[in-house]
Amino acid sequence: MSELWQALAQGVLIGSTYGLLALGMGLVYGVSGIVNFAHGDFISLAMFMCLALFSAFSLDPYVSALITIPVMMAIGALVYRLLLRPMIGYKFLMVVQLTLGLSLVLQNGILMIFGGQPARTPSVVESKLIILGEVVLRLPHLIACVVAFVMAIGLYIMLRSTDFGRSIRAVHQNAHAAALMGVDVGRVQVMTFAMGLGILAVAAALLLPGTPIQPSQGLQYTVITLLVVVLGGMTNFVGIMLGGLVIGISEALGTVYVSDTLGRLVPYAIFVLIMLFRPQGLSWRAS
Amino acid sequence: MLEVQGLVAGYGGVPVLHDLSLTLAAGEFVGLLGANNAGKTTLINSLSGLVAPMAGRILFDGQDVSRATARERVELGIIQVPEGRLVFPEMSVRENLLLGGFCDRARPHRPQQLEKVLALFPRLKERLPQPAGTLSGGEQQMLAIGRGLMAEARVLMLDEPSLGLSPLFVQYIFGIIDQLHKDGLTMLLVEQNLNLTLRYAERCYVLERGHVAVEGAAEVVKSDPRTRQAYLGL
Repeated sequence: MSELWQALAQGVLIGSTYGLLALGMGLVYGVSGIVNFAHGDFISLAMFMCLALFSAFSLDPYVSALITIPVMMAIGALVYRLLLRPMIGYKFLMVVQLTLGLSLVLQNGILMIFGGQPARTPSVVESKLIILGEVVLRLPHLIACVVAFVMAIGLYIMLRSTDFGRSIRAVHQNAHAAALMGVDVGRVQVMTFAMGLGILAVAAALLLPGTPIQPSQGLQYTVITLLVVVLGGMTNFVGIMLGGLVIGISEALGTVYVSDTLGRLVPYAIFVLIMLFRPQGLSWRAS
Repeated sequence: MLEVQGLVAGYGGVPVLHDLSLTLAAGEFVGLLGANNAGKTTLINSLSGLVAPMAGRILFDGQDVSRATARERVELGIIQVPEGRLVFPEMSVRENLLLGGFCDRARPHRPQQLEKVLALFPRLKERLPQPAGTLSGGEQQMLAIGRGLMAEARVLMLDEPSLGLSPLFVQYIFGIIDQLHKDGLTMLLVEQNLNLTLRYAERCYVLERGHVAVEGAAEVVKSDPRTRQAYLGL
């Protein structure tokens, strides 16, 4: 029984960060129709930036985030303006090709600079444990969960009740009508993409303490994020956070109850099962 | 107030409007008539800055705005109420109205403007928290017009406001449009409904295949045989 509680707790903690990762992708998809297959490699990029900042200045990942967030946002704005915007209006697959290409460039760029050895970025909280009865939680996971939920709620409030948030939703629901309201659609798309990478930078710092990183990990994060976004129904905010928890928990259960290699398949198996019975995703509204 | 001179515009390099000229004086209510594909929607989308002109000029208050972006035109007060309403379906009526007053010029006066719009459309007041997608067609048209008014339009361009509405709602909407005109709003009304437009508008243009076929006071346009010709595409 204690194993189950342990797996559930760990799943929720990690899953909330997956949810946060996926919110970034869902937002971008919602306003630009772009599915970014380099998503995971941008996480890698942010993680390796934290590693570099640690090597150079001994900065803790949580402190580095203050630097990586604006840098990633700037990179996002540039990538969108220079690479993605010119592709809008072309076929969906062209954009997929472009982001896949970007993924290879990022992955190999990181490989060139940092080499292929797995690397760790230490943090002061890395080895701290919190013991609740039979459940042992690692402090970085707890921090990740709290920050992820705070950010998700903050984003939700921003989208609901600020003019900028409403303009994002307007572009998502009808870009043509949004333009007629005086919303600068192009600007909203750039800012949303930048925001998506900013969120990634936060998630990268949250996932980093205690996790070994290597340049080839990007695809794995992309796939997990895609699973979560699809589970959540692409643009449904609550659905995506819920999808993150489902994937996080199934990953943890797989690790605990199923032997190693097979255990890693559990999230995918659960994903396929859910999609068979609820192709519209976890959201209750079929929109 | 608004002047279009020799406008050529279209999509993908193919012109839909050929050398089209039109004027709209302050406080005037002008109707824009024509069959399907005559170029009515292309014209008001050019005025909104959504279709780039290939030639010609658009002057607003004597200032050339041909190259201004859609956002800049909204800031100037050139507001379009689009065909098919295009309300934001998953947002509440209230949020739709707030977005109507999104531009910098209108944003500071949103609370007062909201009061005015709700006084004009009491029906919307009852529906404020409801998602716009759940409104009836007529209510959505009220919302679309209300949204346009939230932007404190200086020129309000209505694209087919009667489309798909019951006769009763059409009467109601035209009553509102007439009232707005009497309150001094400058309006350009795009319509297929010939008789209603000729009854309310002061002046009309009849478009045919991207150019002006007939223009003049409503009575003149009404009695001109070319009007019906243009309409039937003969």
